Amino acid sequence: MTVNSDSTSRISGAANQWYASAVSTAIVGAVFSLIILVLLVSNFIRSSVIQAQREQELINQKVEIQNRPGDEQLLERIRRLDLQYRQNLFRNLDFMRKGAYLLLGSVVITLIGFKGASSLKKRMPTLQPAADRLTEQVCDAKFSRLAVTAGIVVLGFGALLLAVRPEIAFFETIQLDTSIPSPEQISKNWPRFRGPEGLGISAYTNVPDHWDVKTGEGILWKTEVPLAGMNSPVVWEDRVFLSGGDPNSLEVYCFDAFDGRLLWTGSVGRLSMRNDNESLDVMEDTGYAAPTVATDGRRIYAIFATGVVGSFDFDGNKIWEKDLGMPDNMYGYACSLAMFENLLLIQNDQGYVEDEKSVFIALESFSGRTIWQAKRPVASSWTSPIVAQIDGRYQLITCSNPLVIAYNPADGTELWRADCLGADVAPSPIYANGLVFVIEPHMNTLAIRPDGSGDVTETHIAYKIDFAPDICSPVSNGEMLFLLSTDGLLCCYKTEDGTKLWEKEMGEYFQSSPSVVGDKLYLLSEEGVMFIAEVEPEYKEVAKIALGEKCFASPAFADGRIYIRGRKNLYCIGN
Amino acid sequence: MTNFRHITVTVVFVLILCSIGSAGAIRFPPPEFESGYELPDTTVPNPRPGIYDYIDTIVLVLALGLSSYLVLKKRSRKAIFALTVFSLIYFGFYRRGCVCSIGAIQNIVLSFFDPGYAVPFVVLLFFLLPLVFTVFFGRTFCAAVCPLGAIQDVVLLRPFSVPSWLENGLRLLAYVYLGAAVLFAATGSAFIICRYDPFVSFFRLSGNVNVLILGVCFLIVGMFIGRPYCRFFCPYGVILRQLSRISKWRVTITPDECIKCRLCEDSCPFGAVKKPVEQWPAKEYDRSKKRLALLIVLLPILIFFGGWAGYGLRTTTAKVHATVRLAERVRLEETGKVEGTTDASDAFRSTGTETSELYDDASNIRARFGLGGWIFGGFVGFVIGMKLIGVSIWRKRTDYEADRASCLACGRCFEYCPREHLRRKKDSTSQNITAEESDKAEFKSGGGR
Repeated sequence: MTVNSDSTSRISGAANQWYASAVSTAIVGAVFSLIILVLLVSNFIRSSVIQAQREQELINQKVEIQNRPGDEQLLERIRRLDLQYRQNLFRNLDFMRKGAYLLLGSVVITLIGFKGASSLKKRMPTLQPAADRLTEQVCDAKFSRLAVTAGIVVLGFGALLLAVRPEIAFFETIQLDTSIPSPEQISKNWPRFRGPEGLGISAYTNVPDHWDVKTGEGILWKTEVPLAGMNSPVVWEDRVFLSGGDPNSLEVYCFDAFDGRLLWTGSVGRLSMRNDNESLDVMEDTGYAAPTVATDGRRIYAIFATGVVGSFDFDGNKIWEKDLGMPDNMYGYACSLAMFENLLLIQNDQGYVEDEKSVFIALESFSGRTIWQAKRPVASSWTSPIVAQIDGRYQLITCSNPLVIAYNPADGTELWRADCLGADVAPSPIYANGLVFVIEPHMNTLAIRPDGSGDVTETHIAYKIDFAPDICSPVSNGEMLFLLSTDGLLCCYKTEDGTKLWEKEMGEYFQSSPSVVGDKLYLLSEEGVMFIAEVEPEYKEVAKIALGEKCFASPAFADGRIYIRGRKNLYCIGN
Repeated sequence: MTNFRHITVTVVFVLILCSIGSAGAIRFPPPEFESGYELPDTTVPNPRPGIYDYIDTIVLVLALGLSSYLVLKKRSRKAIFALTVFSLIYFGFYRRGCVCSIGAIQNIVLSFFDPGYAVPFVVLLFFLLPLVFTVFFGRTFCAAVCPLGAIQDVVLLRPFSVPSWLENGLRLLAYVYLGAAVLFAATGSAFIICRYDPFVSFFRLSGNVNVLILGVCFLIVGMFIGRPYCRFFCPYGVILRQLSRISKWRVTITPDECIKCRLCEDSCPFGAVKKPVEQWPAKEYDRSKKRLALLIVLLPILIFFGGWAGYGLRTTTAKVHATVRLAERVRLEETGKVEGTTDASDAFRSTGTETSELYDDASNIRARFGLGGWIFGGFVGFVIGMKLIGVSIWRKRTDYEADRASCLACGRCFEYCPREHLRRKKDSTSQNITAEESDKAEFKSGGGR
């Protein structure tokens, strides 16, 4: 509207006073609003800065108190600071709230003033010379069409910008290798904890039986492992795999088997960085990465103390990751992974029997999809499952308190069970000479015939041996069964009937499990001393070699090589 | 001096409204007690008694009725403004902008597509009543009942007219907004009208800072451009526009006949006064006929391309759905393309649900967005096509009229009409005469003894 305020404004003398009052009201309201506004803004800025500093100080002190839990002075300071912080916060909030209401009121007054003034000083319409109506109409229609067309362009361009964003494919059609390794491939490698079938038996007999760390003789390479872990090396052709973890990171490592170079590091289990993960209090004996990884020659799989499972291809690309939930395990999760064809087998035993939390999970190796799950009426355990071919069929054998349960690994069907274990079961089962050997720590070693079905407790326990290690798993060359206790007592029994053949006090402590290489027995002590012995007809030491570093993991054996994980380093020993 | 005053007011308004909203953004952690103190259980305030729903509905009906009376019968701008202020206070500040007829669109749409969702009774009425009144009386809801319109109306200080061609272009935004709101509500993704309601932060004196800033921008613009949200964005206004075209009664600038004095030409801050349209020149008329034929042929093409573009947006639009966002986040985490986790992804994992199930759900939702995108895009294409056709059609008009669709029935144009002043004068005189006649009759019957 065109306005000529001088000629068209219409205001009487009486109204003039009202007009002046309205303008004054508006100005007063605006000034009042401005003052409150300045106060509010300054208070907001000041409180934001100061409160932020105070909050940071509070956070720092809270972190500090975790390191000095008994510091009463610090605790008192935290309480005082916390109180100040809250008092100021509530004071500021109160100030802002009241200020907001005052502002609203003053704005309303300002608006009333302006509205009143404008209604008192009406502007009369001024007629403009009549335009060429026809031209105006035509132009208006023309510009309207152009404006709508411009709208099409803008909308089209906007749609294009939004549409070109990359789509996150949920089911990527990447070429997943769904093939499975042949039994020959598996036997030539060391794909899981304790080798091809988890029995601790090397397929190679040409592994070294002497080396010298001080002179470097026989040490092909030595590489520091970035993060600690109790898990053992896994080998597939020219790759060696390990995992490690700390409160911030859970990682998988791939080393070049020839020169020990760290080829890639894969990160999994980001849940370890969650706040609630502060409650994960791992024991030194297990740590964040006790379970040994597994591989099928296509991918590598790892599970950690947080219950997160990850899968990577051999180039370090993460294929999938899955959170099974934080395990309820008093000593920390330590069951190593096993594999059967395209299934990754996870023994996820938790809590007590009555908690009914334990479950065995089989994931599809290339997708991470759950194929089957089996509830297990058992308590927490620290054993690793094995898959053994028995009488032409595969059996997945698991140990826990109180049951030994065998499943069909393909579908999770229970084949048989024996109620014969107790306490905290850590040694893993083995299969030798037609018998399954399981250990009830500090109590008995039991031999079970695995050809039964249902509950075989009363019918299929062949014999018991009244000696049982508490951590180290047994090993057998078929004829003889070797049991190694943590305090270094090595006992040898006939697998046929459990007759004791001999025993030997090693004089060292052991946590890694013994292995059989040809006709020799390899024992790795906590202090890193490798005992190599011939075992027939009695213990005969072939070599005793100190690594110079503590060892808790079991060694891996490959063609002419041994891979040993020390507390800090990974060693490759070869000819 | 006038400019200075407006600038001052503008600056003051921006800062004030920003600081009002800032108070609501502050959050703080619960205290950490180490003395065995147990935090009391969180309590939830009791729901609002149901009787208030009925009161709100009654107030709405009364306000709509009163607005219609004031606009069509009383023709009083002052009374309309007073009702506007009441609506702002009641439906805005007292009821905190909820229930609102504009947002109710989404509830209605969701109830059609989600069998498990029942529209609350009061929401249904808030959606339907203004529509019913519009069918009979025009946009009297916009005039003085809608709190969003009211807050813009009270801040309108110095209106400048928007050229009608620009208004035609900008008005497309409201259709796109309506289409998007329906799409997201139908897919159960979000109620974007509520989420991005620019004025609700003022009504509640709290809220998201970004939305608050958006509201401040609308109000600043609204000081000079009449009701920008209502005219260019309001999705409910789109529906009201169409219904208003067929309304039985409607606002007229003049109470009886138009004398073509042209005084009302610039009276409407919303550009709703339509001037008389004369016969188009023959040459232009022929061209316009050809253009019209072309645009009619173009209409299905625009619908198709609009639908195709909407379908192409399915991946982006689907992100609005929480399940899709979660699935994408989990996927990125699983493939190592992002570091860290979010609360949502942590919570999902803690449920133990298979990621494949999540991905399946997300894929299905994306597919729904694909279909919805076709419909949404087709709708936008249809609107654009019809708009092009609309501005290419010559409509003969002999008088100055309030545009049926655009007129917000605010009554500002009334007092610009000399015939209106004459009517008021006559009314006043007839009332005086009636009073005098009444006195005389009373005197004759003995009242003057």
